[in-house]
Amino acid sequence: MPNPSSSLSSTIQVLSELDILPATGGATEELLATDPDELDDILQNSENQEIAEFAECGPEPTRDNIYRATQPSFRPQDHLYRFFIDGSIRTYYLGTAVEEQRTFPVILSQIGAACVARKEDGHLKIQAHQQKLLLLIPAANYGLSDEMWRKLNRATAGTNLVLCDTTEQPLGREAAARSLQNALRDRAGAIARARMHDLERDLIGSTDAERNENSRLVLDGGIKSEKFMSQPYIIAVAKSFRKDVIFTFGSKKKTSESRKDITKLLMGLPHNHRTVAFSAEGGKVAFWYVRMRAQDEVDYPLKGVVKVEVALNNGNKITAAEADRISSALCGERNVTPYGKDNRWHCHLYPIYQAENAIKSRFFSNEVLLGSIRWNVKPKLSFV
Amino acid sequence: MADTNPEAKNNKPIGRTSATERDAITSDKFTFWLPDDAIVNPFDIVAVEQVNQPTEPNKSETFGLVTMLEHRTDAASHLSNYISANFGQVEDEPNTIRQGTTIAFANVMSNTADIYMPVPSDKLVSFAEKEGIERALGIDVMEKEDRIPAGLIKMSNGTSAVTFLDSKFVLGPEAGHVNISGIGGLATKTSYAMFLIQSILQTAKDSSDIAVIILNVKHGDLLQIDQHPEKQLPPDQMALWEDVGLEPRPFKDVHYYIPNGLNGKPNYFIEPTMYTQYAYDLAATADKLDLLFANVSDSTDTMESIIGDIMQNLETKNKDWVGVNSWKSLLYGMPLFDPKEGKTRGFGDNKVSSVGKFRRQLRRIVETNQSGIFVEARAKHQRVLANEIANIRGGHTYVIDIAKLKDEEQTLVFGDLIRTVYELKSEASELRTTKEPLPEKIIFFVDELNKYAPASGKESPIVQQVLEIAERGRSLGVILISAQQFMSAVHPRVTGNSATKILGRTGSSEVTQADYRFLDQDLRASLTRLSKGELLVSHAVYRQPVKIIFPRPAYRQTK
Repeated sequence: MPNPSSSLSSTIQVLSELDILPATGGATEELLATDPDELDDILQNSENQEIAEFAECGPEPTRDNIYRATQPSFRPQDHLYRFFIDGSIRTYYLGTAVEEQRTFPVILSQIGAACVARKEDGHLKIQAHQQKLLLLIPAANYGLSDEMWRKLNRATAGTNLVLCDTTEQPLGREAAARSLQNALRDRAGAIARARMHDLERDLIGSTDAERNENSRLVLDGGIKSEKFMSQPYIIAVAKSFRKDVIFTFGSKKKTSESRKDITKLLMGLPHNHRTVAFSAEGGKVAFWYVRMRAQDEVDYPLKGVVKVEVALNNGNKITAAEADRISSALCGERNVTPYGKDNRWHCHLYPIYQAENAIKSRFFSNEVLLGSIRWNVKPKLSFV
Repeated sequence: MADTNPEAKNNKPIGRTSATERDAITSDKFTFWLPDDAIVNPFDIVAVEQVNQPTEPNKSETFGLVTMLEHRTDAASHLSNYISANFGQVEDEPNTIRQGTTIAFANVMSNTADIYMPVPSDKLVSFAEKEGIERALGIDVMEKEDRIPAGLIKMSNGTSAVTFLDSKFVLGPEAGHVNISGIGGLATKTSYAMFLIQSILQTAKDSSDIAVIILNVKHGDLLQIDQHPEKQLPPDQMALWEDVGLEPRPFKDVHYYIPNGLNGKPNYFIEPTMYTQYAYDLAATADKLDLLFANVSDSTDTMESIIGDIMQNLETKNKDWVGVNSWKSLLYGMPLFDPKEGKTRGFGDNKVSSVGKFRRQLRRIVETNQSGIFVEARAKHQRVLANEIANIRGGHTYVIDIAKLKDEEQTLVFGDLIRTVYELKSEASELRTTKEPLPEKIIFFVDELNKYAPASGKESPIVQQVLEIAERGRSLGVILISAQQFMSAVHPRVTGNSATKILGRTGSSEVTQADYRFLDQDLRASLTRLSKGELLVSHAVYRQPVKIIFPRPAYRQTK
């Protein structure tokens, strides 16, 4: 069987012209310490740590009335969600390259996204799928010389390997705050995530003709960017989210009644209820939390809660009825769960779980991918 | 051999082969997943594309027998499903149908290019077509004239194919004998045996070379096999006869032998149109006394010794035995009994106590507990069965009725027949008086074989006689078609020598016996689910057993 990642092998040969310090023990998969959804939430809502505005109307919420009952509505009653999109990413640190006085990390990423459609009878099918292999290397001042960049470009042209410059946006304070190596590795991860979200956005297009008021799309994670906000009939559902948000209701005076941190807010959220919708992104996004599972069904009070984000049109608030419908249909999604297969079962939507499986099952295995990375490294140590 | 490709034949695929890290595809077995709308059952025969030699233009095809199906989902445990139903809410419908598929397990039967490498993963699987089924079983290499229709294979997609037995492996010389087992009433053992005999007779090159002896052991089941049914067979049965290529007709040239009853009347459940009555007087039984005592306990072998002595004396007519010419004279006259003193006597080395036991047992069998088959002196119409069978004619069928006989009497008749037939074929028998040539093959059908050749117990003269037939009969042209409820209850050397085994519905405890080890574990389990009229055929030529159906007999049957 031919090597499915042969394009990678030829690119590696080009890179081997440089001095390469391979990752210890060969290329290794970069594992994220923070949950990807939560990381996205932190990055996307970095300016929204303190929430003070409601984004809901009819009726307008008050600080004494911040939870609303949303009894589950199941597929036979309201088959609201027909499409589910998830993206996945797997990143590998291949080693450190040295060219002249510049040392820089070489990162490889597999990114993919899948859109799963749910049929009327509840069966799933893969609606669309995309996948890419990214080679993430800094260029110019921090990385490859122009000549090497051109060589790599030629080597990757027409293949499934996409060459990405990790310094396409200028490095600012982050480079100064951390070591340059680490900053470049973080940047590579961020670029890979951004490219993955691009794939997700492309997949939304495959559902354009079928999305409407009663046939909506669930995006895993946050609403992410303006690119997503312009698309109608999409909700974003995050399994995990930042835990440092402060909610301030109605009063400029910061009393304990008017301020709640997210833990306090969600501890008081009853089963089959949602919080009222809050405003983010300067009123472009409404978000709220829904408790899909009773607290006594899970071993931690914040489990069983998802964060919902919806783009708002022209600064209009979301109606309570609309948020209720979205939340009720989400509560209905608790049947079926990937319990035993995924630790996030309590807040995982099963079709999203399947979209994730669809992507990962199409990724090259670590054995195949890392097996095709053979640095042509000659000993360079000298005691002279 | 031409190669075929399921895709090229426009045969709708029903799944794809699947090998995983844990469940490999091997040379012997492969697995495939099924789409939601596919219906596949155990015993379906499927075809998969396989590699071929570089010189061959087409891919080869591997055939497999589906042995088991299982449904798997991505639920890690049953608890996952419980939780997915909102923690046990029975009425809650799942919003999304959990991902799952049915996996079929198949045993490799054959490959069109004799390539037995494991079938690759992700290859298309389709139902085998009629020709494919024949290839899979090895029927395609059977000579046309050797093919005996054995029933119809019906698959889940509606494809059907006649399955054939190779006569070289049923009637010899390569192998022989057929053994049928299964629960009474559900396994339709007798019906199948009669269908098979009819099939052999109808497809034989020359049926006048084959004689058939049938023992009727139950009611009047087989006493009207030359009669047309009272009502014509239903259309589906007629179609089945046509499908297997046979004519639905009763047996021809049938001779019925009915035992003598009390008061000299024939002892039958149903009166056949024409019959011959048979009986046993002492003269006709003298050389078969050992068969009469086959079921009598004899832990010290004294009975065996007495019976041997008596048989010898009756034959040689020593002076003390000249007057012994009837059952009464044997029981109540010299030399075994002194009528003057009214006491049992010893003779030769045989002690009085041993002779006493012999007399008690003999009196019970031929006097107090007899059905009428034992007579003091035979009348002209009361024939000696051995003499009748000795003049057996090819192309004729002989039905010996033993249904109303006592156990010892049945054993005697069975032993008498089997010994007569064996002697007839193994040496020039003095009993044969007809000038007609001896039939080349004699088929002997007996139900409840476990009575005569049980798995345990001493090796009685009957058992030895049955083993002779089982082990050497096919070379002589004596073919045993036997049946019983439990294969494990029959002597393993009898079933072991049957190149064809037919299995009907069988109990779950029975299928765990060692006798069924020749079947894959999954197939053994499926034996417990067979419907009435469904049988599993294991034949020497087949690579795997197959499930068949067969037409109801086309002769008169009494409910």
